[in-house]
Amino acid sequence: MVWRCEMTPQELDDLLSAARSRPAEASSDFMARMLEDAYALQPDPVVQAAPAVAPPGLLARFSRWVFGFGGAATGLATATAAGVWIGFVQPAPVTTIRVALQGAETVEQVDLIPSLDGWLSEG
Amino acid sequence: MLAGNARLLMTMPLDDLTDLSDEVLLARYAQGDRSAARVLVLRLSPRVLGYAARLLGDRAEAEDVAQEALVRLWKIAPDWRAGEAQVTTWLYRVVTNLVTDRHRARQRRAATALDEAPEVADATPGAVAQMIEADRMAALDTALAQLPDRQRQAVVLRHIEGMTNPEIAAIMEIGVEAVESLTARGKRALTAILSGQRAALGYEDEGAEA
Repeated sequence: MVWRCEMTPQELDDLLSAARSRPAEASSDFMARMLEDAYALQPDPVVQAAPAVAPPGLLARFSRWVFGFGGAATGLATATAAGVWIGFVQPAPVTTIRVALQGAETVEQVDLIPSLDGWLSEG
Repeated sequence: MLAGNARLLMTMPLDDLTDLSDEVLLARYAQGDRSAARVLVLRLSPRVLGYAARLLGDRAEAEDVAQEALVRLWKIAPDWRAGEAQVTTWLYRVVTNLVTDRHRARQRRAATALDEAPEVADATPGAVAQMIEADRMAALDTALAQLPDRQRQAVVLRHIEGMTNPEIAAIMEIGVEAVESLTARGKRALTAILSGQRAALGYEDEGAEA
């Protein structure tokens, strides 16, 4: 009778598998030390900085001073005021363009609904 | 203080971070996310400790090495470049190098060292025979301790830690073929060491021939 005493590859693999299925048990003290290290060496939380706000422009500040509010409403109010001012004062550039297009009539004399007489006289 | 922290660590909710990869968690750690720190500690510490313990065969030393490796990970976290390496691969490499340094220190201290034996396969299984309690795991640990460093690292990484050969190659900073060679030689050496203890380890004599 011959007795085989050599470990087979399968037996060794089984032994290694058994070792693999037995993970190391870390003590609570060890885990606590690891956590303390991790916390101690951790960078401070990243704080999101508020986006930088540009200072308001001169017009916006003027509008805010005059009308007491800003934003889109300020632009609308400014445009309205400018239109009223142009209508009353009729600055030189505007007058020049109007004269070139319409002749010397003043704005108040523009006939928005022309008479039909001119058309009828043609027969 | 320590026990309190441990209880806190084990009981506090981990949100939904456990599904995240090590790399994502490490990035969050670097941004100051404490939950990420907890998950990483829970996930990585036992693995690193187990690997170090297999290589060193000494629990206290293994804890020191595991702690040192993790400290290095925390320090490098802000500079970690995603996609360059896996966290586990990097950690195992650090542990491997730390253990190698300790073995070299041991060798310098010892007049003779087992690691300097020419080939473990030549060693008689007498060292294992001296074990009073022939528990299989203890026998395996004892046998692993007799392997040359590189063979032990390769066998542990491949067959106990469950790493692939390319992963082991990255950890040990050698080629895949060298990993295969080290693993094969390591297993042959383990077989040689453990064979003499086959009966003591409780294996049946199904191999007996008439």
